[in-house]
Amino acid sequence: MTDPVSPLTNSEPAPARPVRHLELKAALLLAFTALLIAGSVLYLLYARGVFEAKQQLVLVTDDAEGVAVGMDMTFSGFPIGRVRKVELAETGNVKVIIDVPTKDAHWLRTSSVFTLVRGLVGGTTIKAFTGVPTDPPLADGAERPVLRGDATSELPQVLSAAKELLNNMATITAADGELRATLVNLRELSDRLKTRDADRVAAAVDRANSLLARLDAMTAKADTQVFGPDGVMKETRATVVQLNQLLADTRASLAKVDALLVEAQGIGANVRGATNDLPRLRADVEANLHKIEGMIDQLNRKWPFAHDTEVKVP
Amino acid sequence: MSTSWQDRVGHAGSAPLRWLAGWWRILFFGSSLLVLAATPSSYTRETRAALVHHLYVDTAPILWWFTALAALLTLVITRIVVVTALSYGLSRYALEMVIRVLVLELIPLTAALFVALRCTIPNGAALAAMRRSGEFDALARAGRDPVVTQALPRALAGIYATLTLAALSCVVALVLAYFAVYGVTPAGLPAYTRVFGHIFNPAVSLIFVLKTLLFSLAVAIIPMASGLYDVEGDGSRESAALQGLVRMFAVLLVLEAVSLAGNYY
Repeated sequence: MTDPVSPLTNSEPAPARPVRHLELKAALLLAFTALLIAGSVLYLLYARGVFEAKQQLVLVTDDAEGVAVGMDMTFSGFPIGRVRKVELAETGNVKVIIDVPTKDAHWLRTSSVFTLVRGLVGGTTIKAFTGVPTDPPLADGAERPVLRGDATSELPQVLSAAKELLNNMATITAADGELRATLVNLRELSDRLKTRDADRVAAAVDRANSLLARLDAMTAKADTQVFGPDGVMKETRATVVQLNQLLADTRASLAKVDALLVEAQGIGANVRGATNDLPRLRADVEANLHKIEGMIDQLNRKWPFAHDTEVKVP
Repeated sequence: MSTSWQDRVGHAGSAPLRWLAGWWRILFFGSSLLVLAATPSSYTRETRAALVHHLYVDTAPILWWFTALAALLTLVITRIVVVTALSYGLSRYALEMVIRVLVLELIPLTAALFVALRCTIPNGAALAAMRRSGEFDALARAGRDPVVTQALPRALAGIYATLTLAALSCVVALVLAYFAVYGVTPAGLPAYTRVFGHIFNPAVSLIFVLKTLLFSLAVAIIPMASGLYDVEGDGSRESAALQGLVRMFAVLLVLEAVSLAGNYY
């Protein structure tokens, strides 16, 4: 027989005292559980879209890899449909059957385009694009081709190119490769330079040093000849002073020429005044000539022996 | 309920045979209990009274505590998952992960364990004590089957408690996960409903319901069977309770593994 007051006896949930309104409470609890489960089931059915009217859209593709039942079809990033079934058609293509709620179906038009894109990271996505929203709406059960894009399809190509590149690298850097041979040659060259030609370089540096010293001395001499007390520089300065004097003389001569020109101008003015009297003088001469002509005509008439009647004007 | 060949095998056979016989006894007891539960004549006045009593007493006192515990667990795990997902730029998968981890996996298991520890294992121990004190013999002499009047109400109450705890905690977890992800606004409801519908496809829903039902059966029946029969061991009350616990844990583990395999393979 067991001990009636063992810990297990005490831990039993049945309390010693009776519960008041036990049946009512139990009924309430049962109702609560039933409500809870019924509510959950209803919400699940609502979330699965059982209560909303749907129409069907069939997308046809040649490869449905990554398409799973329950996947969303998005329009502008918003899920508007859900994949219900993926099946092989008789032609070998794949039919992806999508349920679109009727309230969202107006986004899909006869001109809509559908894409099935498989990214490098993340799952496959089905997207719908509608360019002309005024086109007639897509009919229930319409069958449309889907444009497929697969980022992973280029992977083999990339991989083979990478492999080729790596092979080339391996060939270049191999033990008997060209790069290694070049490096060895370079090392030999530097070693040779280091050992054999080092003396020659040192001699060249010494000679360059002595050359520089001589150049220095030569520069000092040139300095004395140019800038010294009897240098070229002093003579040049004297020449410049003489040149200045010459310039002053030239300026004085120019002033004289100027005055000469003024006088010439005065002479010119006088000549112009004399020229103004010339027409009157000419008129006088002409009048005198007429008078002389008249007088000669009278003389000719009075002197009848003369054969030549013309009088010569000087 | 005489199973004499099993007793003989159990007492005379080697350890693996005894172990197998123990499982068989549990299976047999469970199926006979289910048949009794489905038989209207089982529900005599006495059984009904005991059933109502156990339904209330086994569930109501632990319901609120467990709900509070589940809410706390939900808040902590949701917060961890959302913050981690955000730092990796995967926030659109955070909600799905929270619902999958909490509602599909953790909460039903936790509810089953909680009911087992608080109700069904002590109930099984009580049955063992009654059997040993001769109460069962007295009942049988009075023409009342002790399995029907004592074990059946307790087992049914255990099943009911597991289902209620799991249902309430799942609903609370779903609500809290919504608030933790979207904040106090109804704006996220369509997206949330969509994610919920996406996760609970028919297969996952079926596995979830089956798993919860089998959990409830396991935690309700195995401790009763261990209490009613000396499945193995020296026949002491504590060892019966302990064996019930071990076998129950094993069954829960197998069920969880099978459900995981069903959900993700």
